[in-house]
Amino acid sequence: MFSAIYVEREVRDHPRTLAILDRYRELPLIECERYGEIFNRKAQNFRMQKDSQALILAHKHGRKVLPAPGGHGFGASPSHYFSHMLNCIYDCRYCFLQGMYRSAHCVLFVNFEDFADMIAQAISAGPPGQMFHSGYDCDSLALEPASGFARFFVPFFAQHPQAMLELRTKSTQIASLLQMKPVPNCIVAMSFTTEAAAQRWERDLPSVSKRIAALGRLQDAGWPIALRFEPLLPETEPQEYAELFERIFARLDAARVHSASTGVFRMPAGYFRKVLRLYPDEPLLARETRNENGIVSFRQRDEEAWLGELESSLFRHIDPASHYRCTN
Amino acid sequence: MHETTHETTHETMNKSARGTTRESVNGAVNLVVAHRPEAAPLLDWFDLTESRPRGRFRCYQGGDGIALTISGTGAHNAAAAVRHLHERQPEAHRAWLNVGIAGHRGEPLGTGLLINRIEHRRSGERHWPPVPRLGLPGSSLVSVDKPETEYPEDAAYDMEAAGFFAEASRLIASDLVYVFKIVSDNRASPLAELDLRRVPELIRLREREIRAIVEHLRQRCARFASCHTMPDEYPLLLGKCHFSATRKAMLAGLCRRGRALGMQQRLHTLAKQRFRDAGALLQAAEAALAAPAQAREAATGETGEGPR
Ligand code: SF4
Repeated sequence: MFSAIYVEREVRDHPRTLAILDRYRELPLIECERYGEIFNRKAQNFRMQKDSQALILAHKHGRKVLPAPGGHGFGASPSHYFSHMLNCIYDCRYCFLQGMYRSAHCVLFVNFEDFADMIAQAISAGPPGQMFHSGYDCDSLALEPASGFARFFVPFFAQHPQAMLELRTKSTQIASLLQMKPVPNCIVAMSFTTEAAAQRWERDLPSVSKRIAALGRLQDAGWPIALRFEPLLPETEPQEYAELFERIFARLDAARVHSASTGVFRMPAGYFRKVLRLYPDEPLLARETRNENGIVSFRQRDEEAWLGELESSLFRHIDPASHYRCTN
Repeated sequence: MHETTHETTHETMNKSARGTTRESVNGAVNLVVAHRPEAAPLLDWFDLTESRPRGRFRCYQGGDGIALTISGTGAHNAAAAVRHLHERQPEAHRAWLNVGIAGHRGEPLGTGLLINRIEHRRSGERHWPPVPRLGLPGSSLVSVDKPETEYPEDAAYDMEAAGFFAEASRLIASDLVYVFKIVSDNRASPLAELDLRRVPELIRLREREIRAIVEHLRQRCARFASCHTMPDEYPLLLGKCHFSATRKAMLAGLCRRGRALGMQQRLHTLAKQRFRDAGALLQAAEAALAAPAQAREAATGETGEGPR
C-alpha cells in the first residue's frame, strides 16, 4: 500500500510506531526530525505522489482539538474535529485534501493519548452532547488495521457518554468495531456518491455495495450508523440517487439510522485552483463553477429544485427530522 | 562521488538538434554525472552524442529525449551543471537523475542505492527524493565537501547530490528528481584504493537498475507532460489577437478546460473565426464551452461533442 515509511526521531520508539513498523517490515524506513520537512516542503506534486504514497509517523504538537467549521454536522451542540491523520489512502477526484496539502503522503500522529487528554478537557469544559468529528482531514477507518484508531478512541468515548464521536468513512475496515460492544455515542457515518459517480471519480475505494454491506453488518451488531451523501456531484439525475437510496434501505433499517446528510460539492477557491492545476485534464473539475465568498461550487441548473427532488426521495425512507444539509 | 579528476569543460548545447514532440510523448530525462568515467556507460547505453558548441559543462543528447551533462566535483558544480543544461534546452517537462559513485561504510562495492534522504553536511539542508516502487535498495546520503574516508553514519557519501537535487527541484516537481549511487568504496576497500579505471565497470554492473529508473522516469514524466502541455488550439487562438498577460492566462485556462471536457473541436472552430479583440475571443470561447445546448448555438459548424 505504501512505498516507504518516514518516522520522526521523536516517535521512533513509541509502541504504536513499533507495531506499525512491524506490520510494514518490508518497506524502506527513513528517519526525519519533523514530519513537516517532508510533508510541507515546496515543489511537490500531489498527483504524482498518489502513485507512491508514503506513511509518515509523527508526534502531534500544539492544538489537537479544533472547532468544526460552521454548517458541519448535526444538531445545535458545539462540534469539534480532531485529526489523528492527515490525508487519505483513497483517491477521490473531488477531495479537498488535494488542494489543502502539498504532499499526498499520509501523516499518522501516534500520540493518541495526547489527543484523548485534550478531548477530555473539551468535554468537561463544554455542555453535554458535544460532537467530535474524526474524519475531517482523513478517512477515519481506512487505515484502522495499522493505526488502531477506533480501537483506541471508541473505548475512550465509551467512558465519556456525554459526548459523541463521529467516525466519518468510506472504508469497510470495520473488524475492530465488530470485535467491540457497540457504543451508543460512537456513530459510524458512511459517505456515498452514486454508483456511476463512485466508479468515475473515486479510485481505490470499496464499492458502493461493499460499503452498504459493511454498514449493514455494523447496524446488525447494534452500532449507531449515519449516512452522508456528500458531495452531491453535478449532472447526477435525482433518479440515480433514488436508486442508491433504494439499495441502501433495502439493507438498512431506516428507523435506526442516526442521521442522514446531503451537501453539494464545495471547496475553498484557493484549494480548487490548486486541484485544477494538478488535474487540468479532469472533466469533473473542468465543469462550470461559481465562486461565492471564496467558496467554489459547480453550477447546477435549478439547483434548489434538483436538491429538493433528491431529498424528497431520501425522505421516502427516513424521517426528515434526522436529515441535515451540510453547508460548509 | 568523491573527487576523481576535475573535468569541467566549456560547452553549450546544440539547440537545433533537439525536438520536443518525441520528448512529450515518451518523457524526457536529464542525467547528471560528476565525471567522464561515470558518464561513459550512460553515453553508450542511451546513444548520446556531444552537443556543440561546447559550453561550461559538456552536454550530450540522444534522439530519444535523454540528455546528459558532466558537472565536475562538488555540490556547487552539480547545481551549476543542472542550470546549464536546463538553459540550453527548449522549454519542456523533464525528469532529472543524478547517477554516480559513492562511499558507504558497510555496503559491498557495486551495490546500487536509490537515495531517499540527502543531507548537505556543510549547510545542514536536507532533501527528500521520492521513493518509487521499483524494488531497489534505498539509502540516505550525505553530501560532503571533502572526500569522506571514515563513513561515520550508516549512509552513502558523495559530493554532488545535494547541489543537484536542490537545483533540479527548482525546475520541476521534486517527484521527478532522483538520485542513484553505486558503492565504489567502503571500510574494507577505502577510497584511496579506488582505481578510477574501474568506475565505468561499477556503473555497468547496475545497467539493469539504471535503465529501469530511466524508463520509470520517462513514463512518469510523459504522464505529467501530457496533461500539462497546452492544447494545440492555444497557439492558434493566441495568434489571432493581442492578449494581455491576464487574458493570456484566461485563454490558457479555457483551452485546458475545452480539452478536459472533450470540446477541443469547438475551440478549433473558433480559431477559424475573426474577432474584434481578445475580449471578444474570450467571450466566444466561454460561450462555446458553456452548457452543451448553448455551445452548439455559439460555436458554428460543429457537432456538439460534449461529454454526458
Ligand atoms: S475517502 Fe474522503 S478523505 Fe479519502 S480521498 Fe475520498 S473524499 Fe478524500
